[in-house]
Parts: sequence; C-alpha cells; structure tokens
Amino acid sequence: MTAYLTNLASLGAIFCILAATLNVAVGYAGIFSVAHAVFFGLGAYAGAQVSLLLVPDALLAMLAAALVSGVLSLCLALPALRVRGEYFVAASLGLQMMAVTLFSEAKTVTGGIGGLTGIPGPRLFGVEVSTLPVALGALAVILLATALLMRSSFGRTLQAIRDAESAAEALGKNVAAAKALAVAFACAGAGVAGALFAMHMQFVNVESFTLDQSVLIMAMVIIGGTGTLWGPLVGAVILLSLPAGLAFLPFIPSTEVGAVQQVIYGLAMTLLMIFRPAGLVGDLSRGKSHA
Amino acid sequence: MTAPLLICEGLSRSFGGVKAVAGVSLSLTAGMVTALVGPNGAGKTTCFNLITGNLRADAGKAMLRGQSIMGLKPHQVARQGVARSFQDLRLFTHMSVRDNVLAATETSAWFWQPGGAAARRAREAATEEALARTGLTALAEARAMDLAYAERKFLSMARILAARADIWLLDEPASGLDLSSRRRFGELLKEARRQGVAICLIEHNLDVVTELADRIAFLDQGKVLAEGEPEAILRDPKLAAIYFGDREDAA
Repeated sequence: MTAYLTNLASLGAIFCILAATLNVAVGYAGIFSVAHAVFFGLGAYAGAQVSLLLVPDALLAMLAAALVSGVLSLCLALPALRVRGEYFVAASLGLQMMAVTLFSEAKTVTGGIGGLTGIPGPRLFGVEVSTLPVALGALAVILLATALLMRSSFGRTLQAIRDAESAAEALGKNVAAAKALAVAFACAGAGVAGALFAMHMQFVNVESFTLDQSVLIMAMVIIGGTGTLWGPLVGAVILLSLPAGLAFLPFIPSTEVGAVQQVIYGLAMTLLMIFRPAGLVGDLSRGKSHA
Repeated sequence: MTAPLLICEGLSRSFGGVKAVAGVSLSLTAGMVTALVGPNGAGKTTCFNLITGNLRADAGKAMLRGQSIMGLKPHQVARQGVARSFQDLRLFTHMSVRDNVLAATETSAWFWQPGGAAARRAREAATEEALARTGLTALAEARAMDLAYAERKFLSMARILAARADIWLLDEPASGLDLSSRRRFGELLKEARRQGVAICLIEHNLDVVTELADRIAFLDQGKVLAEGEPEAILRDPKLAAIYFGDREDAA
C-alpha cells in the first residue's frame, strides 16, 4: 500500500509540474497550447537517453530535458506565435499530431512504438534515490521561480499581453519575444517533468505523450484555476486521484472505471464552467459574462 | 516656429476596393494639440494605425524627428516616444491600477528590466506621479475591471503619462465623460501641452475640440479636406454639412 501511495504521490508531483508550467503559458500569458505533452515527451526521451547512454544522474537528466524541450519549443513557437488565440490552438494541435508520429517513427531516439526500456531509476551524485523527493524538490523550485517571475516586470508583461495584446504592444512591449520566453519556460518545465517520469517509470513510449495527455494537463489547469499559483496543483491532484479513488468504490466494476471517469470529467468541466469559470482556486469574478 | 516632431506625407491605405486613407499629410509639433475631426469612417483611427505600425501603409511616409518609422513594429514605434490610447481603452483588466501604469514604464521583454535599482525607483516614481496626476492614487490597488467608466478613461491616460512619450495619439479620450471629468481631462492635456508634448486627438465632441485644439485637420473619406485654426474649420458650412451627414448641402 505504501509503495502504491508513493507511486501515486510521485506521479502527482510530476503532473503538478506539468500543470504548473502549462499555467505559465495559459493562465499568465494567455497562450492556449494543446501540445504540452509533446514537450513532456521530448524531456522524457532526452532524460532517458542521458540516463541510458551517459550517466543515470537525475539532475543531469532534468537539465538536459529542460534544455531540449525549452530550445525546441523556441524553434516551434517563434513561427506559431505569430498567430493569435484560436489559431494558435490549431497550430499547437497540428504540432501535437505531428509529434506523435515523429515519436513513433524516430526509433533510434525514441524506441518507436515499443519505447525505451531499462531506464535507470533516479540517482543523485551516484546514490540511488526515490523519485518523490526529487520531484517535490523540482516542483518547489518551479513554483518559486514562477511566483518570482509573475511578481516581476516579466509577469506584468505577460499578464498585460493576456489582457490586451495590442495595448501592450502600444506601450513598447515586444509581444513575440515575451510570448516565446513564456513558452520556453513552460516547455522547459514540461521537459523536467518528462525526465522525472522516464526515471520513475523506467520505461517510456509514445502512449504517454498523446493529445489525450495534453488535454488532461489542460483540464488540470482549467479545473484548478488558470493564472493562480496553486490552482493547477489542486487540479492535478484531483484529476489524478479520481481514477485511483474510483477504483476503490466497490459498486463500480473495474472494467467500467474508465467510462465512469470520463463521465465525471465531462460533468465536472461543464459544472465548473457554469459555476466557477475561473476554476476551483481562481478568482470568482473572472471568466463570467458581465453583460 | 518649432520643427514638427512627426511628419506624415501622402499616407495611404486601402482595404479591398475601399480607400480608408488616401494621401493624408499631417504634422505634429511639440506643445501643440492637433484634432482629427470628421464623420465616422473618415479614416481617423486608420491614420493612427498607420503611424503606430499596426497597419502597413500602401504608400506615403511617416518621419519621426527626421527618421522614417515606416515598417517599424508597433512596439518599436512606441519605444521611439509615440504613445497611443484606444477608443475601447484596452486596459489590462485583471491587473491592479498600479500594475497597469507600472507596466507602461517597463519595455524590456526579458526576465528583468535594465538599469538596476535606480531605474526601478525612477519607474516607480513615474508610476506614482501618473497616478497622482490622474487622481487614481486612492484606487491604485483596485483592479482595472472594477473601476467606473471615467476612472478607466483616466487609467488609460495614466499609462500614457507614465510611458513618458513626447507624442500622444488619443482616440476619443473624452467620449462619455461627464462635465467635471472632462474638465479634469482638459487640465491634464493642457499641462502636457505646456510640457512640450505633441498631441493628436480624435474627438467627436466639438466643445472639447474648441477648448483644447490648436489646429484641426478635417478628414472625410480618407482625405484631409481642410486644415487650420479651429474657428475657421468649425465655421465652414461645407465641412459642417459633411460632418453632420448632409452631403447634398456640402456639394
């Protein structure tokens, strides 16, 4: 039971990192990306390869993953960020679809559909450690960095762009550069989560980096509350605990848990959008119509 | 006479077959208020968009202090000292009043602003001064979305004040203001004029235009039909007929 809970907590911390970093793009900068799982995947493959080919060090794997995901996000974001709003959602959707195919086909790097196996567990300075404290440490660093950034001029710039992009430009803000930085920060964080995921599972394949995963991470952010520090964490914990909690309910057959879970997701999202459009932790006045 | 800060010559822009701006020439001088007047659809806001780089001109040029600003992006034009307001205000609604103004003083898109602690103090001082001049100090912690209409208008002005630009392009800044707010707004503009700001305002309220403008450029169908002293322009029966939509009288 302890191992089960530790595993759940480790995955919880990893998904908290994913939700918290996506929130930087969605909640603070207003960039709606449905391709966060792509950068989660890039980080997972990068971290796995570092552990398999170089040295199984968690810090090195996370650093490499953050660099690969952050830099590649810039290459992809710079052209895509020239479009606004719903057009960016469509562009990121295209990227997500393309990446799944690439992950499946680039067998030398990703292991194809079969994935990469035998990835060493996390080690710090040669000592084997559990994923949970490393993931919690990474989450704490990312949350601290996010809190500091959002209180800084950079945070004000992102929020200004989110609220009125043309007015931000008219006040001298280089919108494309600020958005690209926000995306790079968010994707580097997703990369860190990917490296942790690869070391924790000791196996990765494309199944973990599909559109479903991106939508799940987006749901965590929206349900918890966009543009808040703690909201995405609440969303991640709720959505991860849900399948685990449902599995313990005796009146739901184990074969039906998946279907019940989908119904609950859908219902929860619909009710939230009606009664708390800014999410569970979000500001009540946000998102509601003022008409 | 002082040389103009901004000179536009022959600015033109069409949308499909419609000539929104057709060869507009305009100059803005330090310490002078120029009003763009004309009926709806005359091309006034499009002129602003062409100057600020929000739209590319099909023809013509815009020179700022002798340097061309054609082809520059909006943020680059803004950094050269051209600030603008929008008809629909475009405030940063979820941010506090103070953060709205402070954001106007920060132009770097990087994780930090240049200049260290001294520059930060200067930005904070500019913010507090802009809040005081617009009467928003007491509301500094309120969110922009919670302000009353007139206060929102003044917040839009506070951002421009804090940006320390020497050219202001104001799109209907006094529309919807009550008499007392309009007076406060007038004082704000007169003070900026005394400080040497070149102001161009689009305004439908002719009382405001008469009180504040040093010159008027009358636009219709994308062209400057007349330019000169407010009294002369506003007394012209032909222009009045166009302004009030009676084109037969104008002809």
